[in-house]
Formats: sequence, structure tokens, C-alpha cells
Amino acid sequence: MMNDPCDIKRRHVLQSLAAASAGCLAVGLPKVTQAADAITLPFDNGLRELTTAFPQKGGMLLVRSRPPLLETPFSVFDEGVFTPNDRFYVRWHLASIPTRIDGRTFRVKVRGSVSRELDLGLEELSTKFERVEMAAVNQCAGNSRGFFTPRVAGGEWGNGAMGNALWTGVRLRDILDHAGVKRGAVQVRFNGLDTGVIPDTPDFIKTLTLDHARDGEVMVAFGMNGKPLPLLNGYPLRLVVPGWYSTYWMKMLNDIEVIDTPDTNYWMAKAYQIPDTPHANVSPGQTGIKTLPISGMVPRSFFTNVSDGSVLDLNRAQTVRGIAFGGNSGVRDVLVSHDSGVTWTSARLGRDFGKYSFRRWETQFVPQRAGQYVLKVKAINTDGTAQPDTPNWNPGGYMRNVIETATVIAA
Amino acid sequence: MKTDAAAIFLAVITCVASMDAEAAKPLSNASTQTVDVSVPVGRTSFPPGPGSELADAHCVICHSPGMVLRQPPLSFDEWKAEVNKMRSVYAAPIPADKIEEVARYLSTINGKP
Repeated sequence: MMNDPCDIKRRHVLQSLAAASAGCLAVGLPKVTQAADAITLPFDNGLRELTTAFPQKGGMLLVRSRPPLLETPFSVFDEGVFTPNDRFYVRWHLASIPTRIDGRTFRVKVRGSVSRELDLGLEELSTKFERVEMAAVNQCAGNSRGFFTPRVAGGEWGNGAMGNALWTGVRLRDILDHAGVKRGAVQVRFNGLDTGVIPDTPDFIKTLTLDHARDGEVMVAFGMNGKPLPLLNGYPLRLVVPGWYSTYWMKMLNDIEVIDTPDTNYWMAKAYQIPDTPHANVSPGQTGIKTLPISGMVPRSFFTNVSDGSVLDLNRAQTVRGIAFGGNSGVRDVLVSHDSGVTWTSARLGRDFGKYSFRRWETQFVPQRAGQYVLKVKAINTDGTAQPDTPNWNPGGYMRNVIETATVIAA
Repeated sequence: MKTDAAAIFLAVITCVASMDAEAAKPLSNASTQTVDVSVPVGRTSFPPGPGSELADAHCVICHSPGMVLRQPPLSFDEWKAEVNKMRSVYAAPIPADKIEEVARYLSTINGKP
């Protein structure tokens, strides 16, 4: 029932047709227009080639070749609650990325403020510690940056810089306890195999507090949806930080360093900073705002089988469905409106794969008059946080989670 | 002794099962496989024009031109700020006296007033 692909005819108006007859169309351009080998996201310079040229990847939207930024085409999210590995988005900061990794010789070090330093191979890591599994959403801090108004520079993503996977690995806590964290340690710093091309480019390194690193949820994962990770998603090891933005989910993790003074490296102290304000929201041009490193995610929900310009049948019950996630907690409720937010009703939620997972939702909708309907969807998480009515803005283009809208037509 | 035998038996079963189902490769493959891929680099030069040779020489070292072309159109001052960031933060080897020329070129190919 949650997977009926034919319920709503996606009679999308093509952009060319819309342009040719713009004068007599009652609605705006469809949100996303698709040709055979490209998709145009609805913002300036939004044309994205649909590429299959990247290893272990199917069709992806090309945001940047080197270092790769590949976006998941949004239609993938209608296909299931887990995002297939070969469609999972890709985001690298630095261009020197190993393309050949031998799983038999790969090592990860645990060092710094520990009683005994560790140098673990994959076999040892995956058998020495208790194996755990968790479904969790991995979302780029700048997912949806392209929708910021005014626009901001950065990775110009639509809504597809996110994915949900079943991660298999071991608890970071178990590894740290095996190494024996010394008294006075405060943080744990993570590095992967990628580096800059220029020696003076700051290496991409991220840090968590020791308490967070030892919370029993943070994982070192070697499995993604039951398979080894694709290289571009961090093979062979990736840090999984459930509920937190992906910037912390270090790919090709090969170095875990326990430190006893707070990390001041560029990627913690200067990059990925958000305003210390509600919704990380400021006015464009506002200055003198205190900032802090980005951390936990906020709730989001999306339509996956309708979008702007979708045509629904008049006087027939049709399923409107999508996905939601709670961010740093579970999904309590998903509310859907057919009248632009005047009235809301709870959607039926699909199977619960855990608080950090995508959750499918669906409602039945019977359009009883012809014409335009402004559909809205809003998630409320188990902390009671709801998606906001108006979009946030900040110079980094981070943490967008405004209520989503789809303007559809009943005919 | 019995436990050991059972463990070995289970291991054999797991192994056989894994060969049956390509789609359900065991995760232990992660520790025995070698992944060797080639990643496309994409386009390696900027659209020709005054200043493009500077962009080709100094920007493409670290990223493909597509990153620039897919940015929102930026003003000359905004491009200048981006060029300065690339120099001071990421160590792009752009000579100080070429910053404005690069920014002017970028605002020609993807600019706004």
C-alpha cells in the first residue's frame, strides 16, 4: 500500500510546453523538469546532468565532478524507505581521494590520550567488538541550499543531499573503551584518507565531544544496507553520527584521536558554523552574530509522489505520500494540508525503523473541485519540534527545513 | 570442542550461503575485497575568455570548473570574496595582483550586477 507507484498519474507539464503557453497557465512552472539526461532544479544555474559515469553509482545529478558532489534524484525517495547505495548522494571536500583501497591492508588507528594505542585491521575491528545495526538518515548540512533566497555560494543542492541507510558496524564507545580513554580527555577527532591537493589546504577533520563519542549510538560502520560501502560513500569505514549532519560522518575513517584540549582546526572552528539563533536564522547582511559548529538535525518531511504541477483526478481517492524524519529524534506526527495550511490532518505513518530513520507517510486525498490545490506537509518530532512556516536564512545555507509545498491541479 | 565444531560449521554455512546470493554479499567482504575504481574528473578547463587561463591555472588544481558554473550568479565583489577565501583558507596559489582579474573573469561567465 505504501508502495503503489501508479496511484497518481504524474502528468507533469513539460517546461518547454509551459514556456510556450505561459500566458494561459494558471500555475507556475513545475518544480522539477526532467529530460532524458538532465534535470533542471528550480533555481538559477539549476541544470543538472544525470550522470552514470561515477563508480558504484547509478543515475545521479552532477553538481561537481572533482571532488565529486552527486545528488540523489528525488524520485528515488519514492521507491522505498532506504536509499540504495548506488543512488546515495556523494559529497567530498578535498580532491585527493584514494581510488584503490585494499580491505586486507587497510588500518584504522586509535591514538592520543589513551592507555593503549590501537592499530586495527578491518577483520579485527569487525570481529573484536559487538556488531550493531542502525537505520539512520545521513544529510548534508547544506541540503537544499539552492532554495535559499537570497542565494548563497556553496554546494548548490536541491533536496537530494540526503539518504537513509541501514548501517552495520561497531560502537565507537567499545573501541574507545578498549583503548582506555585517559582522564582529562575532552574530545575525539576523526580523520579520513582524503587530503587536499595543495599541502597547505586544511585537511578535512571533524571532532565530537568525548561524551557524544561514547554515547553508544555513534558507530564505526563497515556496512551500508547490508553491503560494504561504495568507495565514494567512504569505503571501507565511515563514522555514523545518528541525528547529526553528515559533516561529522567521516568517510574512509582511518584515524581516531582522543584529545585533551578543544579542537580549533579550521573545519570545526571556522567552517560549518551556524548562527546561534532560533532555526539558525538571521537576516541577509546581518553582522556580529555569535556562531557555533553545526550539530543535530531538525525535522523534515517531503512529498515523493507529487510535486508542483502534478495532475490529480477529480472526485477520486488518491494516495499522496512521502517521507519524513525527525532530525535528532523520532517522528511523532506528519501533518498534511490540502488548503495551503488552513487545516491539517495527520498522515498514516509507515513502519518505524528507528528514531533516526526516514519514515514513510501517506494520506488519501479526494479533490472535489477542479483547479489548483496547495498541498503542504509538516513533520513534528518526538521532542515536539515542528518544521517552521517560513524558511530560515544564514550565510552558509545550512539547516533548511521549512514546511514543503506542492501546488497540484485536479482535473 | 563441540562449540568449536559448531562455530566452524556455521562459518562454512555462512560462506556457502554467501556464494549463493550475489545480492546478499556478507559484510566480511569489506575486509577481504580490494576496491579499485576510476573516478571521472570532468571538464578541466574554463570557458575561454579574458582571465580564463588564470582560472585554468589556479582553480582547477583543486576543483572542476563546474563548481563555479553551478554557483548562483554572483557580483564582482562576491566573486572577489570567493577568490580571497580560496587563497587565504584553501591556499590556492593565485598571485595577489591577479585576484581582481580572476574575479572579473568569474563575474563575466557567471555574474550579476
